[in-house]
Amino acid sequence: MISPELLLQNSVDGIFLGLFYSLVAMGLALIFGVMDIINFAHGDLLMIAAYFVWLTSVDLSVDPTLTALLLIPLFFIIGIGIFFGMIQPVLGKEPLIQIAVTVGLGLILQNIALAMFKAQPKAVPYSIFNFSYSLGPLTIYASKLFIAVISIVTMYALNVFLNKTYIGLAMRSTTDNREVAQLMGINTRMLYAVTFGLGVALIALSSSLWMTFGQVQPYLGTSFSLISWVIVAMGGLGGITGVVYSGLIVGVAESLGSLFLTPSARMAVVYIIFFLVLWFRPRGLFGRR
Amino acid sequence: MKSVSSTAIIAIVVVVIIVAVAGIYLASRGGAPSTTTPTTTTTQKTTSPTTTVTNTSAYPKQIYIGLVEPLTGNYAVFGQEAQQAAQLIVDIINNELGGIKSMGGAKLVLVTEDAGGAPETARLAAQKLISNYNVPIMLGAYVSRFTSAMAAVTEQNKVILVTDALVDSLTQQGWQYIFRVAPKASAHGKAAADFVLDMAKKTNTTIKTAVVLNEDSIFGTSVANGAVLELVSNGVEIASHITYPYDISDVTPIINQIKQLNADVLISVPYFNDGVLIAKAIKASGLKFAFIAGAGACGYTDPDSIKAAGDAVLYYTNTYSYNPARPTQWNQKVVSAFEQRYGKMPTEGAGIIFYSLMTVYEALEKAGKMFPNDPLSPDHLKAAFQSLDLNDNNSIAAQLYPSGHIKFDASGDNLYPLTAILQVQNVNGTLTPVVVWPEAQPGFSPIFPRPGWTQTK
Repeated sequence: MISPELLLQNSVDGIFLGLFYSLVAMGLALIFGVMDIINFAHGDLLMIAAYFVWLTSVDLSVDPTLTALLLIPLFFIIGIGIFFGMIQPVLGKEPLIQIAVTVGLGLILQNIALAMFKAQPKAVPYSIFNFSYSLGPLTIYASKLFIAVISIVTMYALNVFLNKTYIGLAMRSTTDNREVAQLMGINTRMLYAVTFGLGVALIALSSSLWMTFGQVQPYLGTSFSLISWVIVAMGGLGGITGVVYSGLIVGVAESLGSLFLTPSARMAVVYIIFFLVLWFRPRGLFGRR
Repeated sequence: MKSVSSTAIIAIVVVVIIVAVAGIYLASRGGAPSTTTPTTTTTQKTTSPTTTVTNTSAYPKQIYIGLVEPLTGNYAVFGQEAQQAAQLIVDIINNELGGIKSMGGAKLVLVTEDAGGAPETARLAAQKLISNYNVPIMLGAYVSRFTSAMAAVTEQNKVILVTDALVDSLTQQGWQYIFRVAPKASAHGKAAADFVLDMAKKTNTTIKTAVVLNEDSIFGTSVANGAVLELVSNGVEIASHITYPYDISDVTPIINQIKQLNADVLISVPYFNDGVLIAKAIKASGLKFAFIAGAGACGYTDPDSIKAAGDAVLYYTNTYSYNPARPTQWNQKVVSAFEQRYGKMPTEGAGIIFYSLMTVYEALEKAGKMFPNDPLSPDHLKAAFQSLDLNDNNSIAAQLYPSGHIKFDASGDNLYPLTAILQVQNVNGTLTPVVVWPEAQPGFSPIFPRPGWTQTK
């Protein structure tokens, strides 16, 4: 018998988790939406960023959340470097070639991590957010609440960026119609570089939040890649709103699936919902194309 | 003309395929190093890799020992340590012990294949070692379902498999050529429960209810079932038995569920990934137990888990198939050599290989004495393993083993299994795993119940 308190607890935890998933998926949605590039290395980039968080936290004895101040600009530059080095040469080529490049990048990152750090999972043993407090029948985990707040703030800031800045408008125009955007004078090459850099920078932020309660090992990226793709596909290419709602659905479904069935079956619930959404609405919940 | 060209191309392709297949077949038969390469040749048949030698001085110069472990993938942390341990023991056998003296000082050569991340890869790895090296003995593959796949190959080829996988069912399949020195999974679960019950009795702590938590592989289930049976037979109520996938990324829903149960004790069967997450989540949630006992040897008390989880694992225990603190001459020597070579303490993954491979050494020595004409034939090796009765006084392998006694039963399991219990304690400001049960390390004793818990019922 599941008590109302437990149901409420898991729902709240699911919302927090969903907001985090939305943040993780946001970078992928940006890249796919603007550039039409299927970045299969998305999760592996998060994995590499998480290793950076671990190294920086442990070496400098700082909270993992503070490492974001260093890693966001660093990974923005890394993202631009990856774009010019690996992605730009295959822009406009067959989708299979683009997929092969990003899959290859992911495999390279996994094996670099395995060679450098071995297979033992690494975690930051301390965080100022590693506590909880009671709010009536609820237990609020400080790390999860902080992650949810940062996710909301970041996605709001991204929304403002996309709607109120020239670059943001250029990104949205390119998402809607690439050729017309080019005809309007948008330098799509530089725009793509900035988009890719921004997408990877968002991954770095996600990883610093993840490491407040999670851990990293070379194959961490696989599950995040899959979840991100589910969220992006289910949300559709309709801006931030779709990703947020989609992420929330995934987070709550996973949390409640764990409660009503077993933790082993939690992802089955997520994928069943994913299948049903796409069955009835193939372009996603908020997709415009 | 077109159709003639097409026919010609097809014919060429078919010929190429036939030649390639024939070439591979011949290469695998004729190119593989034989384990019976003689130092002096008198009368000898050379048609089979396990050659019958008629001259007892014509022993092999080297004996290939196969090792299949997950060197990549989710379980690489275990496999890589097992490989390190195996190489160390082979070097000790060759350089310090003079090789297999009963076979003219034959040296062991370790040949390793990666079991990867799936049973099929493990099976192929075993097949490759048999095809390429004609290994008479193989060790592996730590993960029980990988080992099961591998054992189908070793059994078919009559290769002795000394397994470091702990699931009970591996020695219950009726296989003839499998041996296991390490204590099986259910023994670990039972040991964890026995420790808790024993300490509860000694400290007058009332334990009425328990939650059992395990990752949902056959290994986790075997260990957990051993714990459940022991607890139930001693009158402890199982408030809940929760399973979860090994690669779970968020354990908050599980912790929420456990919190509602108000159980006295938690018995947890983790691997590495989940152990750190569980410990940190329990600490963050403020959940209090009389005791949290790990079982199954993975997670909580190993140096990497302590580094990752910090004081979240303070006072946690786990069962170990190996006791790094056992004060025998050879155990201390091997632990020290491992630390010097690899810069870290050996954990269970290494420990099982230490005594398993030393047992292989003992069996080879025995086979050389019992069957000088054909020591490496499968049934002779099997007989040698079955005849072993090793203790601290007559073997190195027993000195490395927690109970100090190795002797196999009919199914291939050790008749004298023993797990040690390690607990994470604060030793001069450093979190350190110390052996606390059944005999504690000198200067240490188990800390039970957990500080900060108070008996309310």
